Amino acid sequence: MPIRLMLVGCLLWLPISFSSAAADRSLSVTIYTGDLALIQDRRDIEVKGGRQHIEFQDVSAQMGPETVSLTAADIGIVEQNFDFDLLTPAKLMEKALGQEITVVRVNPATGAETREKAEVLATNGGVVLKIGQRIEVLRDDGLPVRVIFDKVPENLRARPTLSVTVVGGHAGTRPATLSYLTPGLGWRADYVALYNEADSKIDVQGWVTLTNSSGVTYENAQTLLVAGSPTLVDGEGRPQNYYRVPQARPTLQQPGTESGSRERLGDYYLYPLAERTTIANLQTKQVSFLDVHDVPAEHGYEFRNRWLGTSETAQSAKTIYSFSTGTHAGLGDQLPAGVLRFYLRDKRGDPQFIGESRIDHTPMGSTLSLATGDAFDVKVRAVVDKRTHLGSADWQSDMRYELSNALPRPVTVKLLQDGLWGDSRITAESQKSTRRSADTAEWSVTVPANGKASVTASFDTRY
Amino acid sequence: MRARRSMRLGGSLECALLWALALAPATAADILATSPTDLSVTVYRAPERGSGSIVLDALGGFALISETRTVHLPAGTSRLRFEGVADGIEPASVIVTGLPDGIIEKNREGALLSPSSLLGAALDKPVTLLRTDKKTGKLSRVAGTIRSDAGGGVVFATAEGIEALRCSGLAETFSFAGVTDLAATPTLSVQVRSAEPVTRTVTLSYLARGFDWAADYRATVSADGKTLDLGGWVTLANGNGVGFPAAHAQMVAGRVNRESGEVEPLDLGGAILAQCWPQGTTSDRAAILQMGLDSLTAGAGDFEMAKTARMAAPMALQAITAAAGKKVAQEQLGDLKLYRVPDRTTMASRQSKQVRLLDRTGIPVTLIYGADLAAGETRAPAAASRLLRTMNSRSNHLGLPLPSGHIAVFADRAGESLLLNESGVRDLAVDEELEINLGDAPDVQVTAAQVNHVNRVDISNARATQVRFELRLRLPEGGRVVHADRSMGTKSGRPIFRLTLPAHETVTLRYQTQPIGG
Repeated sequence: MPIRLMLVGCLLWLPISFSSAAADRSLSVTIYTGDLALIQDRRDIEVKGGRQHIEFQDVSAQMGPETVSLTAADIGIVEQNFDFDLLTPAKLMEKALGQEITVVRVNPATGAETREKAEVLATNGGVVLKIGQRIEVLRDDGLPVRVIFDKVPENLRARPTLSVTVVGGHAGTRPATLSYLTPGLGWRADYVALYNEADSKIDVQGWVTLTNSSGVTYENAQTLLVAGSPTLVDGEGRPQNYYRVPQARPTLQQPGTESGSRERLGDYYLYPLAERTTIANLQTKQVSFLDVHDVPAEHGYEFRNRWLGTSETAQSAKTIYSFSTGTHAGLGDQLPAGVLRFYLRDKRGDPQFIGESRIDHTPMGSTLSLATGDAFDVKVRAVVDKRTHLGSADWQSDMRYELSNALPRPVTVKLLQDGLWGDSRITAESQKSTRRSADTAEWSVTVPANGKASVTASFDTRY
Repeated sequence: MRARRSMRLGGSLECALLWALALAPATAADILATSPTDLSVTVYRAPERGSGSIVLDALGGFALISETRTVHLPAGTSRLRFEGVADGIEPASVIVTGLPDGIIEKNREGALLSPSSLLGAALDKPVTLLRTDKKTGKLSRVAGTIRSDAGGGVVFATAEGIEALRCSGLAETFSFAGVTDLAATPTLSVQVRSAEPVTRTVTLSYLARGFDWAADYRATVSADGKTLDLGGWVTLANGNGVGFPAAHAQMVAGRVNRESGEVEPLDLGGAILAQCWPQGTTSDRAAILQMGLDSLTAGAGDFEMAKTARMAAPMALQAITAAAGKKVAQEQLGDLKLYRVPDRTTMASRQSKQVRLLDRTGIPVTLIYGADLAAGETRAPAAASRLLRTMNSRSNHLGLPLPSGHIAVFADRAGESLLLNESGVRDLAVDEELEINLGDAPDVQVTAAQVNHVNRVDISNARATQVRFELRLRLPEGGRVVHADRSMGTKSGRPIFRLTLPAHETVTLRYQTQPIGG
């Protein structure tokens, strides 16, 4: 009984508003991949009937006020305001212009206090006060003066607050849903792939990684992740994938054509979290969504030479791992965009990190080919042996590619020569190439164990 | 009046206590994993560093850390916390293995305990304002509520009215009652469900920034200049505030792909900036802020000191330990090279450590002088460059992968070692050519001129011995050498003249190119 009394006393300390502590609050958060989330906040509101002001605290500070909608039975919305005029000492003084405040002078020697009423005349670069018939500058002498305000002005708040003016029908408590879009919440996928060298198989775990920098905590929220970023007409302030660096090397070798059992919304895949969760401000949260074992994977090498690329020293080929996302001999799922980290067991059997690669939203049944880094022992030196001017705009370029392998087993390197657009031809080559596109010729070169191989080719080009 | 105030005070303390209880996480059992019983740290080089040396204050590499810990889980859902993980942890890379049934979710809290976050957490909650008389030291306590900490200023309410913190010129600070659930360091936690109480050994692995390693070679050229002794150190550095005692340490050589850009939100916190209204002056805000700082209490002064200490901390990365003796063992890791430090070692916080990489003697080398010229270039006498060339092969007493790094070349002079030059080495596989740059050689000068479309190059040798010289030409598009009075070869698709310069003589080379002048 005394405890209950005390609790009541404590609650009186709190300003009355709709805060997250309310037990009747139900949050649902839908997060898109491009730093955007839809928040649906269901709370019970008390309608008095007639015109009334409702305040919603604990809303995202970054919310788009134009995306707010409040729905409840039998109420009409007059206007809604998103106040982000923040309560600071300077604002407090500014708003007190022309009003009366209390100044308390403290005698620095004795500590004795002298109280006076003062009117704030101006706050331009300093506070000018009118005390009785005198005009003074506040704390001009550097001596201690306390300033006491009677109240906090109406729309100054510690945190951005949404306030809605409504006209209520019948009085009573009823559920209302507040929904809005906000940046600051985002998610992506993080994959852990463990490659088994002995039987060329990978185990892949997929985790969704949620980050919240929107400034508030979403308590006990039902969370839905959408693998896709809707186009926003007014993209300002909500950059989509602003960190994405254009990737030179395509990772998606073969787009898939399979569909799985995952829930969809339009063309977006949905990843609902199984349980309600609290997304704290500044938290990074990971929830598992994929765990597959023993998927066949291929380990290879790739070297891409730009047009007329020539080097004095040999360059490392890229280490490539490729695998399928299909149901047959694959991951059997569509993969939301994210980063795939590769691990390999060392001689002692401990997994070691060997590199990572970003993937885009990948449909099921695709073939992915991911570069994890440079191969220490497999190198290629591309050399322009000769450039011959054949005619007005006709050139012959003799290229030589020297491949070396310091590994005790033979390797196959996919050698690519870029920049062959236009009517360029390969007039002679030491090994048959395939033309992947007008732009790129490809040779599949086998380099013997601890050995070398070389490919030569003559290109007839107009540049 | 006095009696009333003390009653309020008592009430606020009890309230604070209740609040503290209410603040405690309402989730299931909070379990703390034991300290790591086994540690493994694998350090990766900064991917874009090339062969430059590491900067101990800004380590651009990273590490894979694996910790073995024991956990006792009760039946039901628990929140398992891991403390003492590296500050540079990348939360998205965390892997936890060995837990029963299922991990519901993994969390990394980014809100850390700091003066400013403490203030933010106390918003709208009761606090006690402490005002100390600077003259008498008399302390007065006033119960209040923080109304705002927005924009760097603090507004609070007391029974008397609304006031702003530290705007009065008095020594003011808040005393926060109760406990906070904010952590000092980024804390990693896992929500896990177990059907029955279990004790498990779990492995926590994650990538963390703030590590790097580099190879530093020291080559000593023999008196006759025909052989070289090559020694190498591996320098491992841990720039984190967390140490790793008795850890298995590994390094990985070779360039590893990293996708950068996404940084998980983290609030490192800060001091309480008690900004005020324009006060007592007509000058601008900066001065006002300065005045505000001047009026900080002794407690706030500590924040400043703490900040200075934090800034100074990187300079303290000096503890260099040389673990001499055994060399690192190398093994293949996919297409990378893994080096294992033979014994368990302690990677203390903000420490760099050196271990022996290799020691090879009697490596045959060839000293070559050289110059690079564009075809048709006219050049006033300039010093040739000098390099040592050898093959990274078993027959040359090498034949092992050499991770990129710095190489310093020394020569003996009357029992003393003198530095000749320092240069970089790239990642070198077995059976690749190793070229060590020795800098300029003023004794060998190269002069080039063009007369009547004939290019003439004079190379003078002021040394008492004959030397080998290589002149490499750069030709324009479609250009070729049509005539030369010395035999010409090609290297990397470029014409090269390999010459021998007799002692104290000048050798002249003439060549013509097509198109003329090119």
